[in-house]
Amino acid sequence: MAEGFDIDHLAKLARLSLTAEEKALYSSQLNQILGHFQALAEADLPATIDDARVVNEAALRSDEPGPVLGAEAVTRIAPASRDGQISVPRVVDDES
Amino acid sequence: MSTPPSDWEVVIGLEVHVQLHTRAKVFASSPWGFGKEPNEQVDPVVLGLPGTLPVVNREAVEKSILFGLVVGASVPEHCSWDRKNYFYPDNPKNYQLTQKDFPVVVGGQVEIELPGASRNVMGEHKFIRIHHAHLEEDVGKLSHAGSGSLVDYNRAGVPLLEIVTEPDLRSSAEAEAFLRSLVAMLTQAGVADCDMEKGQLRCDCNVSIRRRGVEKLGTRTETKNLNSISSVRDTVIYETARQIRELEAGRSITQETRGWNAELARGYVLRDKEDAHDYRYFPDPDIPTLKISRETVARLAKLVPESLYDRQRRYVEKLGLPYTAASVLVNDRALAEWFELAVAAHPTNPSGIANLVANDLLRDLAASAGTAGAFDETAPPAVSLASCPIKPAQLAGLVKLTDDGVISKQQAKEVFTEMFKTGQDAAAIVDAKGLRQNSDTGELEKIVQEVIADPAVAKSIAEYRAGNEKAINALKGPIMKRTQGKANPVLIDQLLRKFLG
Repeated sequence: MAEGFDIDHLAKLARLSLTAEEKALYSSQLNQILGHFQALAEADLPATIDDARVVNEAALRSDEPGPVLGAEAVTRIAPASRDGQISVPRVVDDES
Repeated sequence: MSTPPSDWEVVIGLEVHVQLHTRAKVFASSPWGFGKEPNEQVDPVVLGLPGTLPVVNREAVEKSILFGLVVGASVPEHCSWDRKNYFYPDNPKNYQLTQKDFPVVVGGQVEIELPGASRNVMGEHKFIRIHHAHLEEDVGKLSHAGSGSLVDYNRAGVPLLEIVTEPDLRSSAEAEAFLRSLVAMLTQAGVADCDMEKGQLRCDCNVSIRRRGVEKLGTRTETKNLNSISSVRDTVIYETARQIRELEAGRSITQETRGWNAELARGYVLRDKEDAHDYRYFPDPDIPTLKISRETVARLAKLVPESLYDRQRRYVEKLGLPYTAASVLVNDRALAEWFELAVAAHPTNPSGIANLVANDLLRDLAASAGTAGAFDETAPPAVSLASCPIKPAQLAGLVKLTDDGVISKQQAKEVFTEMFKTGQDAAAIVDAKGLRQNSDTGELEKIVQEVIADPAVAKSIAEYRAGNEKAINALKGPIMKRTQGKANPVLIDQLLRKFLG
């Protein structure tokens, strides 16, 4: 099976620095894992209801508002924030 | 540009995202509402923090089922939730909880009414099929500032019903009519408030074109995140023209996702098919499959209001209302029910009541609404009848006074204005102002005879006697003037004919 990934890119995303030997080893292991998923994906299975995990409406929550964390607590767990909002690198799904 | 050359047919399908009317979020107990400070309506479940589990809000499920019943859909035995995986900062968990395989609503249809040739003529009716509707969570809101973006998760986790139509719409006018009808259905059943200014209804619009008579659908584009009915209309017009231009120039349509710039009134490409996301859907392991009991369905079925156009047909056919008044009343359920209470109190003249409600009452309510908390998020989008100073039975009383000839229609308008100001009964105002029309025959007979004797009207009398029926009207003015408008017009007419005949 052809590699469906770029090991250097994956290593970069995971913030790992890998030796050439490690890259070869992990590439081969990842390929094996992906092969298993490939096999699963190829199985033509219709969506079914799993009777073992069906609940009735008693398992629903009532529409009662509960406590909130507050903006201070929410932004504290983010690496960066500004004016009560979480600050992230610019992402624009917009006309450019 | 708004109408494509007749050779081409446009095919439109809509995905309408509606925030459901609930107090808490769909899988968390965090409250939600418009106009709060950023990130003040967020709890650990919304953020998907470790150790938290989503639990489905009953009200959100029931509102979804109610929508299904409103559009005549089948309510399935089960529904379940799936994870839609994607990485974008508006999404705190890196997946959105949605329903892929077993949505809460399957099928159904929405009746629409197209604009008529003029405002008082009813247009064509059509049914637009619903493919399904699924209950999911809304995502957070991004704003862009300089080199960075800011994230507010207040909207994340708000219950969102995504209503997906079949590709049944054939023009921008049909898309517009569909959305208006859908909004009326959703608000009248209390499923959603659909306040577009607050982003409570947003639309993705699929457009393709094909040669007329060809059955095979053309390649479609999807324009995402349209937040007003006019944006949907403009997108359809724009996209239809663009696709025709492409195909007629010998190019092909690319299956792509597009955005809409409402300010510049133009679309733009967001991403093409190659960049299409693979969302790697799988059943959410945290939320068990829900069995929907038939008892719940039966209970909710009782909450389904009379449909917009069933009501309109009833008003026109059974109550004899003009289409213009009927179409205004049915758009607002509270107003229609108010009207019906008035009709119950005075059943012989529904049109008279309808005209006062659709014209005078609506006008005065709209004028007084301007001052009362326009930014109140709990206020319904339509005019508020809750603070209406006139009760239905009081309006019925006013129409009855007119019908009985106690006051003229002109005077009724004056009395109405006073009623709206003071909340008093029509009869009390009529008495206090001395408006009661003079039905004292003796006194009126004298005035009529005096007027007839006046040489100034001799010509009109001669004409009337020569067979010109209308000439009699020239005599009524002077009589009304001498009675200061209080004479009963029916009685004047009778007396004139008696003395002149």
